[in-house]
Amino acid sequence: MIRNYFTVAFRNLLRNKQFSLINILGLALGIGVFLFIMQFVAFEWSTNRFSKNFDRLYRVNVQSKKGDAVYNVPPGYAPILKQQVPAIENYVRIADGIASGVVTYAAPTPIKDRTFREEQMIYVDGSFLQAFSFPLVAGTPTFSEPNTLALSETTSKKLFGTDNAIGKVLMVSNQFGNTPYTVRAVYKQPAASDVKAEILLSLQTLESKAARGGNDWADPSGLESGFVNIFLLLQKGADAKLVGSNITNLVKKANPGANDDTITLQPLSELHLAPSFSYPLQTYGSLLQVVVFFCVAVLILLIAWVNYINLSTAQATNRAKEVGVRKVLGASRSQLVVQYLAETFLLTLASVVVALVLVTLLQPYFNDFTGRQLALSVLNSGWFWIAGISLLLAGSLLSGSYVAFVLTAYKPISVMKGSVQSSVKGFSMRKGLVVFQFTISIVFIIATIILYNQLQYMKTEKLGMDLDQLVVIQGPTVTSEGQAARNVSFKNALGQLPFVKKYAASNNIPGQGYNFSAGGITSLSPQNGDDKKSYSMFICDERFFDTYGIQFAQGQTFSRNDAESSWNNVRKVIINEKAARELGFNTTENIIGKKIKWGETFEVIGVVKDYHHLSLREAIKPTIYLGSVSYGYFTLQTDTRDMGNKISAIKKLYSSTFPGNPFEYIFADERYDRQYASEQKLGNVFIAAACIAILIACLGLYGLAAFTARQRTKEIGIRKVLGASITSITTLLSKDFIILVIISIVIASPIAWWAMHSWLQDFAYQASISWWIFIVAGTMAIAIAWSTISFQAIKAARANPVKSLRSE
Amino acid sequence: MIKISELEKIYRTEDVETVALNKLTFEVKEGEFVAVMGPSGCGKSTLLNIVGLLDDPDDGSFLFNGTEVAKYTERKRADLRKRNIGFVFQSFNLIDELTVFENVELPLIYLGVKAPERKTRVEFVLDKMQIMHRRNHYPQQLSGGQQQRVAVARAVVNNPKLILADEPTGNLDSSNGNEVMQLLTDLNEQGTTIIMVTHSEHDARYSHRIIRMLDGQTVMENIMV
Repeated sequence: MIRNYFTVAFRNLLRNKQFSLINILGLALGIGVFLFIMQFVAFEWSTNRFSKNFDRLYRVNVQSKKGDAVYNVPPGYAPILKQQVPAIENYVRIADGIASGVVTYAAPTPIKDRTFREEQMIYVDGSFLQAFSFPLVAGTPTFSEPNTLALSETTSKKLFGTDNAIGKVLMVSNQFGNTPYTVRAVYKQPAASDVKAEILLSLQTLESKAARGGNDWADPSGLESGFVNIFLLLQKGADAKLVGSNITNLVKKANPGANDDTITLQPLSELHLAPSFSYPLQTYGSLLQVVVFFCVAVLILLIAWVNYINLSTAQATNRAKEVGVRKVLGASRSQLVVQYLAETFLLTLASVVVALVLVTLLQPYFNDFTGRQLALSVLNSGWFWIAGISLLLAGSLLSGSYVAFVLTAYKPISVMKGSVQSSVKGFSMRKGLVVFQFTISIVFIIATIILYNQLQYMKTEKLGMDLDQLVVIQGPTVTSEGQAARNVSFKNALGQLPFVKKYAASNNIPGQGYNFSAGGITSLSPQNGDDKKSYSMFICDERFFDTYGIQFAQGQTFSRNDAESSWNNVRKVIINEKAARELGFNTTENIIGKKIKWGETFEVIGVVKDYHHLSLREAIKPTIYLGSVSYGYFTLQTDTRDMGNKISAIKKLYSSTFPGNPFEYIFADERYDRQYASEQKLGNVFIAAACIAILIACLGLYGLAAFTARQRTKEIGIRKVLGASITSITTLLSKDFIILVIISIVIASPIAWWAMHSWLQDFAYQASISWWIFIVAGTMAIAIAWSTISFQAIKAARANPVKSLRSE
Repeated sequence: MIKISELEKIYRTEDVETVALNKLTFEVKEGEFVAVMGPSGCGKSTLLNIVGLLDDPDDGSFLFNGTEVAKYTERKRADLRKRNIGFVFQSFNLIDELTVFENVELPLIYLGVKAPERKTRVEFVLDKMQIMHRRNHYPQQLSGGQQQRVAVARAVVNNPKLILADEPTGNLDSSNGNEVMQLLTDLNEQGTTIIMVTHSEHDARYSHRIIRMLDGQTVMENIMV
């Protein structure tokens, strides 16, 4: 019996090659996309879960009444807390973003020294590897003495190849000076971890004043400046809420000034993805992004399945005779139900297999596309198998049920004669499903257009500065005696190069950030609450504004002398218009020479016109520019001709002035555009989603059109005999479908508008959602749908009427 | 074998009510070969469907081998049907995706007959119908006469007591038609009861008795000599 079912199922597939192909391919495509996106979702979900202490590690957050949660806290609290709160088993402090610098391995001759800049270098407590369960490759699991470090396997290979790294000494040059470290451990960096580092430096190193290089704020026992994340490993069964409030009380006792602060413990399980959209604490991943991607995945899968249901039910009438004959020959209804469900299950399974093959083949491209190392193995977990298999069964049941339940319910005689009355009802359901598919596709199209429109707007909107032809050179990190003089001489030498039109130095660059933010800055006659306002501080030399094309509204730039004497000595500042307004100045009046208070009194010598220092996602910040000779970044303007030679000339100059520092450069506009990488990525995903959704929907439409054309063969024949033209018949056949697409446009437009309007709220500067977007999307949908249908319609219309009538 | 009395079947659509069988009374004895004739729409096919347990009557009594089956559920009818009745249709109604062998095998599968026995029985009837050489062909590869022979083979493979034939020669030329009629006569002579609906006086002459219908009632009976 089973063999007979499979024989029939298989022969049916072969006989209707076109339908089978559309059916299996469409569903496989949908499942494939679903699997890809689910890889991403599962990866996000699994982040940090590899840690054995996943349910016992908590990050300390300080929540003040006024502001956001702060997670960079003073490191000195950690040992005090461990001592006073018994529920705390251990702590790990992580200082991210202060360690980056240049690493040098002074190799014994004849091998050349190896030097490279490492951004992913962090200070941690020596128990880090154990607490976070990073797998140890070599060495000891803890490295608590000063001047020790752990290397990732990749970095170890980069530096030492297959040689043993343990015991080797590396020189690390960063803001704390040049410090030697001994390698104690080599670890494997887990992909699904929020803490990412190529090199882990022992935080204890900074306990020595000499190793801090004058940066006393970085004292690991300090209680003032917050620069570490403190992770607490709680005892098994400890109540994190209770521990949090215990800590709050302790901190209040120790520091009455922190009366407004509440300490909360953020579980490692909520570090990557927030448990809700209103989660107040900072997370590394984006719940919204995961949810949006998940919805896209589900919608595409739905489109594919709808296709499948549509095509199989459309074909069902072809199976009517078979159902009837089987019934007459004694098949019970349950036998038939099982037969047809098994058949759809087989088809679905075939699609899954095709999808798996597709995914495996396309995985490298997908990884390039998303910039992540994903694989099907990410999905290998209990919940996914359960969900996957139930989805498979549910899908087979849904798509097979029309044939299995509806058709088999009829009297054998009526199904055999093909007079199944439900064909009208069946068709209206099919129409509904087509509308559903096209609605989703059109929402994707509109969303994509709006997304790219916004991206384009952000990329082309006047920034208020000119980033064209600007080359930015990373300043030196490895420093030595007489550094300041070398910085000045390098800058001067840059200006001497024949191809350099303009040049400047600054301690950060547009598109990347400021230097720090500060509060408590007011005019001499402040309003109530002015001291609570926050200002972005940017350190640069006198040439910065001219080089970046930033215009002055009032006053002028620093004098060279001011910059070289440094801002804390000369007490002169430049502000932007936004800052002027925040300080309470009227920008139409003369502000030059006015004084502001920031501890000491500073004189405003210039007001620059507002420009977009950071991406258009963010509002322009009130900014105060502090003059200094600066050596973080050197910017020069030159045209793009003969770039290779120019770069090597600069490199030569750089290497001779700053020996031991790797030469790195970037174009200012590239750096600026990099801010839109996540929007670009989202845009790519949407473009792909829209294309695939449309493709699958069109596959279905193509199949349906073929089916209708076949069903209406007799009608077409009669119409042709009565004198209908090919055009009129093509129109007749296409019209119904086009109406469905138009209905979809009407439904999709408000949904897409609402979704994208909400999305745009994240941007301080938004491109408007104008009516033409909907017209374009609608026209596209109609054009695509029409070209899909017309092929079948024209084919049917051109057929010889005599043939179609005779076959009836 | 079949005793029908006061049988009624009415088809209703939204506006129209069509009386297909109007208090029809009619009897067929075991071993008989009965032809049912009449103009289109007189109710012959409806009668055949009810006798074949494919359809249920609205009113009246239907005794099959002495058992009242008029009020049987679909399931019970199906069960009775697959054990006792074979069908031959005008349009053959073979399943296009199955070979000759597989088509004939189908009723045995639904009866739960084991595979080795199925093979023996199918080959036996195929041989008897002289289409053994076509056993692995698909219906589209056969002529109309051959297709109808497969259909007859399928109808008799489970040794039914009753064969219902709905215009079995309607789609065949005269020589193929005669062949099929000869097959039916042979089966009847071996003891199978046959009820055949036909438009053809020629075919009807193969039967023992002709029942003529008009407007859902029997109007005349001719006993053939």
